[in-house]
This record gives sequence, structure tokens and C-alpha cells, in this order.
Amino acid sequence: MVRILLRFPENIVEAPITSQIILELKVPINIITAHVDAKGGEVLVEVPDESLKKVVKAFRKRGATVNIPKLIEIDSEKCISCGACITLCPVEAITKDEDATVVFNQEKCLGSTCSACVDACPARAIKSVKQNSTELTNNNAH
Amino acid sequence: MKKLVESSGVEVAFREVDVVTTGTFGAMCSSGAIINVGHSDPPIKIEKAWINDVPICHPGAAVDLYIGATIMAERQSFEYGGGHVIEDLVGGKEVEFKATAYGTDCYPRTQANTRLTKDDLNQFYLLNFRNCYQRYNCAVNGRDETIYTYMGKLLPRLKNATFSGAGELNPLMNDPDYETIGIGTRIFLGGTQGYVIGEGTQHDPKNRFGTIMVRGDAKKMSPEFLRGAAFTRYGTTLYVGLGIPIPILNEGLAKKTAIRDEEIFTSVVDYGVPRMGRPKLAQVSYKELKSGKITVGDRRIRVSSLSSLKTARKIAGTLKSWITQGEFFLTAPVERLPVDSVFKPMRQTEETPFVANVMQEAVTCNESEEVQAIAERIVTRSVNHIVVVDGDGKLTGIVTSWDITRALAQGKTALADIVTRRVVTAKFNEPLETASKRMAQHNISALPVINNEKKVLGIVTAEDVSKLLGR
Repeated sequence: MVRILLRFPENIVEAPITSQIILELKVPINIITAHVDAKGGEVLVEVPDESLKKVVKAFRKRGATVNIPKLIEIDSEKCISCGACITLCPVEAITKDEDATVVFNQEKCLGSTCSACVDACPARAIKSVKQNSTELTNNNAH
Repeated sequence: MKKLVESSGVEVAFREVDVVTTGTFGAMCSSGAIINVGHSDPPIKIEKAWINDVPICHPGAAVDLYIGATIMAERQSFEYGGGHVIEDLVGGKEVEFKATAYGTDCYPRTQANTRLTKDDLNQFYLLNFRNCYQRYNCAVNGRDETIYTYMGKLLPRLKNATFSGAGELNPLMNDPDYETIGIGTRIFLGGTQGYVIGEGTQHDPKNRFGTIMVRGDAKKMSPEFLRGAAFTRYGTTLYVGLGIPIPILNEGLAKKTAIRDEEIFTSVVDYGVPRMGRPKLAQVSYKELKSGKITVGDRRIRVSSLSSLKTARKIAGTLKSWITQGEFFLTAPVERLPVDSVFKPMRQTEETPFVANVMQEAVTCNESEEVQAIAERIVTRSVNHIVVVDGDGKLTGIVTSWDITRALAQGKTALADIVTRRVVTAKFNEPLETASKRMAQHNISALPVINNEKKVLGIVTAEDVSKLLGR
């Protein structure tokens, strides 16, 4: 599964774009987070790797912008393994192992759309960073 | 020691074990470093000084300075502070030093700007006046909004909890009667050998909240065990690595050092209440705290540690290897830590106003009433706010004279259509200052005062606050 960040401008925010694409392409699109109001929307979704290209194309055709979400990264040099971040993660992507080392599961992480852990880190070891994306950024040029 | 006492008993453990090492690595705000920067030519009697834009205290003669861990940079405040300056110096980095002075006959210079590393300093001693709390509170937040505290980020309505301390690995917990700890006890401090120089401030031995004052040569320390840190919207601090070897002088100490996390309890405290006597909601053991979840009433709450158990273990391990390799020698204290001192609150000669002091009776109504009736009540009672309550006197909304004026202008008659339901409230025992800040924040002029069951006790208005201030 690949995560992509969709932005819907004000003029199309009321159209049922995501459901139309699900029905048209018959691709399961999993909504991870969504912030939508009258001024526009930002939705983080997960799509199967093999359908990524056609899904991105379909969203762009309907006027949505598609980006790779920024990821959360923990700088292991700076991290002191206190664990202050653990309870702030809504999806339990941060845990402690038996050795009391803080372990970060990036696959579970919601990325910068959440960022609840960032300002809780006393060592300032958590940052949101741009993912090194190949496919999507290439597509952006089209 | 813990396993040995469990399997073979105290007697055997006493014979077999010579020393138990301990460790802790947590945020310790009452920390800092004494530095002497040497004399410039012409000399300067420093009045104000900064390192990397962080103000440095000048408590003594011309060039003696103290870097306080919690003092924040003037431009990058809340992100960089004294703790970071100490870490940077310890790590060998060059720092920007700036000083100003008024100039005297003997110290004519009025300004100095230079760059310094730890090698340029004559003395660079960590001098921490309160470290190594024996145990600490577990923090939660009962308020409706996220708060940022020295106990970290606390989510609303008890959605998370935080704690600090190494529990069974804590130095003072392993010698709770301070039989072996006192002035002159040699310890692990920041990666090198340091000393206990006395009891720490707020030392509270009877309540098992003992603390120590320590000193060590920061030039020999390592940033692994001395880290600057920033707590969002609270400020900067220093994480200090500290370990104490406990010599097993008697069977009693064998038993005491066998202490387990499940035997160490602390209180779950509501940091959402802005008072010194914050309510204690539950008792929990360090075993529960370290498990990641605690129980408060019928709720299971996820709990985060603010101190690093991983580094605490490393400290205890390092200290052990120093001792076995003959690099570290234990010392007997010259004077033991006090065991009966008390920690007093501040003597206050000026009264602080609380909501209860200015709160007035609230004029109320219920939702089935008509706008016209409320308009009349506003006039006869001469108030601007009417609190909407249900049959049990519990808060359901608020209407202002402005809401009523608008409703009358628009020809609306049903109160239910114009009630504000998301009401910002106050508690009767909170300081007036926090309540009035909340009014300003939400740009409103009154707060209904409610109890925990949402029952309306009264109302506090901006007018009442200004009357009090103008007295």
C-alpha cells in the first residue's frame, strides 16, 4: 500500500470524488485522515501499489492535487529513548522494546498530517521530512 | 541484588554482594554550570553576559558566571537554552560569548565579544542544586484542552499520562534512609566522577521525595549523559545522567537495595488544575508506569516516560564496570543527608484572588423560555449574561444581552435558536488570573462557574475582575 495526500480546492470540495473513483476503478481506497470544510479538504489515503498510477491520474483529472505526504522521522542520534512521544501517537506507531529503546514503525505512522509527537519530544529528535518519492514527483510534471 | 534476595534471602545477598549500582537520566531543571572565562585586557567586570544568545547569570566577581539550564535564548526562546549551552560546551563546540559592563576604574572595559570552547575556560563545573528526585508524580490533564507542562504534553480529559524517574533503579530509592549517601559521596555524574555536596533544594525525605545537590568537572563529561532539552511552551532544561554506588554495609541495605518497581508508589496528579495542591486521582506503582498503562478509576490510560530508562541502565552498568576495574573508589559521606527536614510552601503576605472571591450569583433561565422573558430579566436584574440550565441546575448554555438584542431585531422568539452551547467555564477554586486569561483568549466577558457535575455555582464577569484590580 502507498500513502498519498489529496488536496481538494474549494470549488470541488462538495463533489463525491473519492467514491466516484473507487466505483469507477474498482480500487479499494482507504482513508487514513481527513480534514474537510467548506474551504477545501486534505485527505490522506492508502492505495494498493499496483493501482497507484491510475488512482493518481483519476484524482488529478478531477481537479485534486496529489502529493506524497511528508513523513515523520526520528533522528536516532538525538533520540534519548525517553518515550515522551509514545502516548501521543494515535495509531501506536511508537513503542519501546525490551531494551527500553524507543522503536518507530514508519509504516503505521500517519505522517505530517498528524504530527502529534513532534512538539512532545524534549530532545527535538522528531521532524517531518519530505519523502524521497520517485513515481509521484515524476508524475507531477504531467 | 533483587533476584538474589528473592532466591537466596537477605543473609546470602549481604555476604555475596559488595556494591549495588544505580542510575537515572531525566530532566533536572535545577541544574547549571559555574564557569570562569578569565580576564580580558583591559579587564571587564561583567554586568550582563550571553552565550549563544542565552543570558548567563553573573552572581559573583568580575568573570565568574553561572549558566542556568532553564534560561532561554533571547531570539530562539523555548527551543534553545542554558541546558543546550552546557551540552554544546561539553561536546567540545565553540560558543559565541558576549558581555557588557558599566565600567569602573579598576575594570574599565564595557564590552567583550569572543568565541570560547571548554578548553578556554579556567573552571567549568556542573553545579546542580536539585537533582535525582527519589520518585516523582505521574501527570494527567483533566481539562478540555491540551496543556504543555514540565511533565510534557498532556492531552485533554485524561487521554494520556506522563511520569519521570527510574523507579527501582533510582539512587535514593535504593538507600531511602541515606545510610551511605551524603556530603562527599563520590558518584557518576554526566559521564565522569562527581560528588554529592549536600541535600538538594526541596529535599523532602519523610515523603520519600529526597533530592541531592551535586558537583562535577564538566570538562570531563559527555553529551551522552548531559543533554539540553526543550519542553514545548514550558521552556528549556538539562537531562542529567547520575548514578550512585550503594555499598552493602549491612543486611538492612541488602534488603533495601532489593526494592522492586511494584513496591514504589506515586500519585497520579491532575496538572489541569492550576493550583499548588493539585488533586491526586490515584496511586500507581512504577511497575504499572513502566508497563505503559495505568488505571485511574475505571479508566486505562496510556502512560509515557519522560526520563530514559535505557540510559539509566547504561549509567548503572558503566558505574559497575568502573568499580570492578578499579577506576572508581567508593567514599564514606562526611555528613549524611538529613532525614527529617520538611519542605514548606511559600509564606504569602499578599492574598491571591481566586474565582470564588469575585464570583456572583448567576441569573439563570431554562431553554423553554421565550426571548421576550429573557429580555425582561436582563433589564430587571441588570446583567449582561443569562446562564441556561436544565432541571437539575446543570449548565446547558449561555445567552448575552447582545444575543437577545439581535434576536429581537430579527424577530426570533425561541430561546433554543439563539443559545450558545459551547460554553467556556471556570472552576470556583481556580486563580482569577487563569480565568481572566481564558476570557481574553476567547474574547468573551463572563464565565459561568461550575462544579465537576456541571452544576452552575455562579458567574464571574470581566467587570468583577476589573473592579477587583481597581480596588
